Amino acid sequence: MVLPKKKKAHTGHEPVGYLFIAPFYLFFLVIILLPIVIAIFNSFTNYDLYRSSDFIGLSNYKTLLKDPLFKKALVNTLVYSVLYIIPSMTLGLLLALLVSGESRRYQVFRTGFYMPYIISMVCASTIWLWMFDPAAGFFNQILTSMGLEASTWLKNPALAMPCVVIVSLWKNLGYCMLINLSGIKGIPAYLYEAAEIDGADAFQKFRSITLPMLQPTTFFLFITTCISSFNVFEQVNVLTGGGPMNKTTTIVHQIYIRGFTEFKMGYASTISVVLMFIVSIITIINFRFGNQGQDTDMG
Amino acid sequence: MSTKTIKKIRRIITLLFISGLLFLVLMPFFLMILTSLKSLPEILSPRFRILPEKWLFSNYVQAMKRGDWPRYLLNSLFVTCTTVFISLIINSLAGYGFARISFKGRDTLFFLALIGMMAPSQVTMIPVFIILKNFPLLGGNNLFGAGGTGLINTYAGLILPYIAGPFGVFLCRQFYLNFPMSMDDAARIDGCSRITAYFRIYLPLSKPILATLAVLKATQTWNDYMWPLIMINKESMMTAQVAVVTKFTSEVSVQWQLLMAATAIIILPLFILFLFTQKYFVEGIVTTGIKG
Repeated sequence: MVLPKKKKAHTGHEPVGYLFIAPFYLFFLVIILLPIVIAIFNSFTNYDLYRSSDFIGLSNYKTLLKDPLFKKALVNTLVYSVLYIIPSMTLGLLLALLVSGESRRYQVFRTGFYMPYIISMVCASTIWLWMFDPAAGFFNQILTSMGLEASTWLKNPALAMPCVVIVSLWKNLGYCMLINLSGIKGIPAYLYEAAEIDGADAFQKFRSITLPMLQPTTFFLFITTCISSFNVFEQVNVLTGGGPMNKTTTIVHQIYIRGFTEFKMGYASTISVVLMFIVSIITIINFRFGNQGQDTDMG
Repeated sequence: MSTKTIKKIRRIITLLFISGLLFLVLMPFFLMILTSLKSLPEILSPRFRILPEKWLFSNYVQAMKRGDWPRYLLNSLFVTCTTVFISLIINSLAGYGFARISFKGRDTLFFLALIGMMAPSQVTMIPVFIILKNFPLLGGNNLFGAGGTGLINTYAGLILPYIAGPFGVFLCRQFYLNFPMSMDDAARIDGCSRITAYFRIYLPLSKPILATLAVLKATQTWNDYMWPLIMINKESMMTAQVAVVTKFTSEVSVQWQLLMAATAIIILPLFILFLFTQKYFVEGIVTTGIKG
């Protein structure tokens, strides 16, 4: 009788498992899951932190549809995403190919290229804030000393967003390189050996082996980059504060402004719900067309 | 002979190209250091010189006197250390539970955590702020979370959101899945309960994964800007990342040399950490795919 009982305990239900996950799950429920519910609830109220909130139905959503600033933020976020996603993925792949060698020298290169990624977005932004400064900045001083015309960079409505993108690209290039490198390392060497026997040159090997074999990695990188682009905030807040002429305000920046400078928590929640919706769609695409996160362990 | 020379030349050209590229990528760091050592008139003068005329190391002292910098740095350090410590405990416990023990609803609970990991903190910043502000019985609040300021301007208000993130659980689960089932069987036959097995067998084997998690969590926490920006409005509770923005960039004529000096000081601890723990950094990013 003892043996089957133990066997059952092994494969079936062991309540002690709850004990192990309980400390984490408690925090997770209160800080991650509950807020999602509260955000949806608050999006139907006019909560402002001070007075008790009233249920106002879909009125926040109606206001949102007519809000010119939100429309601007949506367009700006899309512009940012388009300007950021393709260059970061391409440059990350090219860089990974350049430094994928085994020798110690390449390891030093990889470390170097990775450096900007480990610093905070705030520090990256303050450095570039100086470099872009019209009076004291590095770029204008170089331009004028070469006899060229200076620019106003972040204060120029047409250039501000591209400048923000450059800062993000510089900071996150190391990440894109790293993810691509891990993908390249996973490609079995015999494929290249077979191609060599068949007389393939370097470009053919890249086109027929590296690129198709990297597809899961590329897809994964595309999804994470999409999600992070739609959530861009820190660099915007430090570099431009949404200006000039609201040319760089983004969805999350609008949430921040509405929620924490105007204290319209209900309205800010509405924007959060819209953002949540966008991110969910990207995530569903990931689950549906990706490899369910099995290869990359991201989910 | 000639093909060999061509190959050699090509290799040298590639190396030169990569070195040039690396120099370009790292140039903002060099410029930051050089600017932090210049005087303001020198930075503003239209004639650009790479090296400072006089190396003003005193800029670093001056920058640290803008507000209470020892306090800001200590705040950041305290929040980072506490977050790492608590995360290590609760994430490795949960990772072990999800990986090695089967219990009812495990897969559903894990899937929920997976969804939670996809929800970026920007999406939930408003409701999390509301929850922490209305936290019952803390910060002058009554049982229903009204009346006081809750966890605003407290360390707990900063730390709680950091330790709730699920990616550490995934990292640990992935690690604990790699052990053979026979290890659990052997432990059980020897009369080990699950709890003893965790502490006596698995925990001592967990050093690499705990190091990875510690490094990632420390970087994330030290670098975060959005959360302290929202939760903290008292000077003495500011973290370094918020202080560098509010103390130096909000005036009309920015003291660039001081801003660069403060930035360098915030970056330095991370660079040191990175140089010693590079292996763990890279491993952690590759397995979880988290993006800062």
